[in-house]
Amino acid sequence: MTYSIIGRCARTGRLGLGITTFSLAVGGRCEGIAANVGVCKTQAFPNRTNDPLGIKLLAEGFLPARVMQMFAENDTEHDYRQIAIMDREGRVAAHTGSGTRGWSGHRIDADCVAFGNGLVGPQVLAGLISGFQAKPDDPLEYRLMLALEVGRDAGGQGDAQSHKPERSAAIKIVDRLDYPDIDVRVDVHPTAVEELRRMLEEFKLYEVFYRERGRNPSQAIPQDVFVTNLKARRAHGTSASKSPP
Amino acid sequence: MTFTLLARCPRSGQVGIGIATYSICVGLYCNGLRSNAGAAMTQAFVNQGNNTLALNLLAQGFTAARVVDELKFNDPNSEYRQIAVIDRSGHAVAYSGPKTRGWSGHKAGDGYVAMGNMLAGPHVVEAIAAGYQAKPDESFERRLLRSIEAGRDAGGQVGNEGHLTERSAALVVYGAYDYAELDLRVDLHDKAVDELRRSFEEYELYRGYYRDRGKNPKDAVPQDVFVSRLERTEAAQ
Repeated sequence: MTYSIIGRCARTGRLGLGITTFSLAVGGRCEGIAANVGVCKTQAFPNRTNDPLGIKLLAEGFLPARVMQMFAENDTEHDYRQIAIMDREGRVAAHTGSGTRGWSGHRIDADCVAFGNGLVGPQVLAGLISGFQAKPDDPLEYRLMLALEVGRDAGGQGDAQSHKPERSAAIKIVDRLDYPDIDVRVDVHPTAVEELRRMLEEFKLYEVFYRERGRNPSQAIPQDVFVTNLKARRAHGTSASKSPP
Repeated sequence: MTFTLLARCPRSGQVGIGIATYSICVGLYCNGLRSNAGAAMTQAFVNQGNNTLALNLLAQGFTAARVVDELKFNDPNSEYRQIAVIDRSGHAVAYSGPKTRGWSGHKAGDGYVAMGNMLAGPHVVEAIAAGYQAKPDESFERRLLRSIEAGRDAGGQVGNEGHLTERSAALVVYGAYDYAELDLRVDLHDKAVDELRRSFEEYELYRGYYRDRGKNPKDAVPQDVFVSRLERTEAAQ
């Protein structure tokens, strides 16, 4: 039981993945994302070799649809996997195996694929997509975050009798470079989507500071000074993220 | 302000990192592990291109010492970096740039580097190394975690106004595969090392289950069944 969305920002070419699940530490199993290559995520009963393999095949120039065919040929348990693939041009392929459990499915929309299993129903996928498409001008990380929240509010995981809590969640974004641009995680938490929102908002306050102090160390203020300034700005009710670094 | 153990397990060939810091989301920067290539970490003022470059050089066959030199030659701000590199022979080399802040230093031993900056003193790095070596027969990931706890207990990081808490932490291990064997994080917490221990112990209960259900889906019990069994086992103890 998991619900996820992979997406691409058509303006910037940034690629991203948002995911939440009952399982612990799901963000530690999301290595299938590479700048200027694509996104590949296998879930349900995951074959962990799929995602690194998928990224290599996309980098060689194979289309997502062909990569999916190769997955099927390379894996005797393909029927138990749920997979979404997107390349850097936004072309996609998706597969929901018949052996995945509970209500299970995927849905393709502009610049995204929503997919999940063990869900209360198709309304969760509709929620993921409406959240993603609600604010198309927002940075990709916020679009993925909103997607997860609307997916959760549409019922998330479980069935008519019981809701399964989201115990871990992650958002990962790549942007041209070979290390992640954004990579926020909640590994063990009773309400992981809420906690992920808190984490993302907090990280966004530090994002520029962290990047610039690495690039221009001689100009960087100590972090405890930065944090003190942050607290002062918060006390004055000004938005720290819009202040100069 | 960060303290770290980077290591290669001589028994298994696994490479791993344990890290804790006042900064949030430190796991974002821990992308310097690759199966059968080696391990690299740059901290203090991070050059985010370093880890990938180091792994590419290690994979090509350069020694750890040579890789650290290349990272320095390639970076006009190298004096602000703190770097550790371990190659697949277990040679471990570190560099603590003179412009990293506070007490800053490292200890490179056989197959490991303990390092940190803005620390309470050299005893923190010594404690991290000793923590790693305390129980050599334990699993590699437990040894990494123990070393970070030892760094915390030895006083950890200090800022302008005294002790700085660990707000994020991570524990990552690569083995034979090109995906992580273990990748656990605490991104934002008042006591991130304590929380990392809690997460680790919880995740350990599930680890085999998660691995096997992917490999043998047909035989996998649903996770809620697995969880109720777990709860019954715990209640019985």
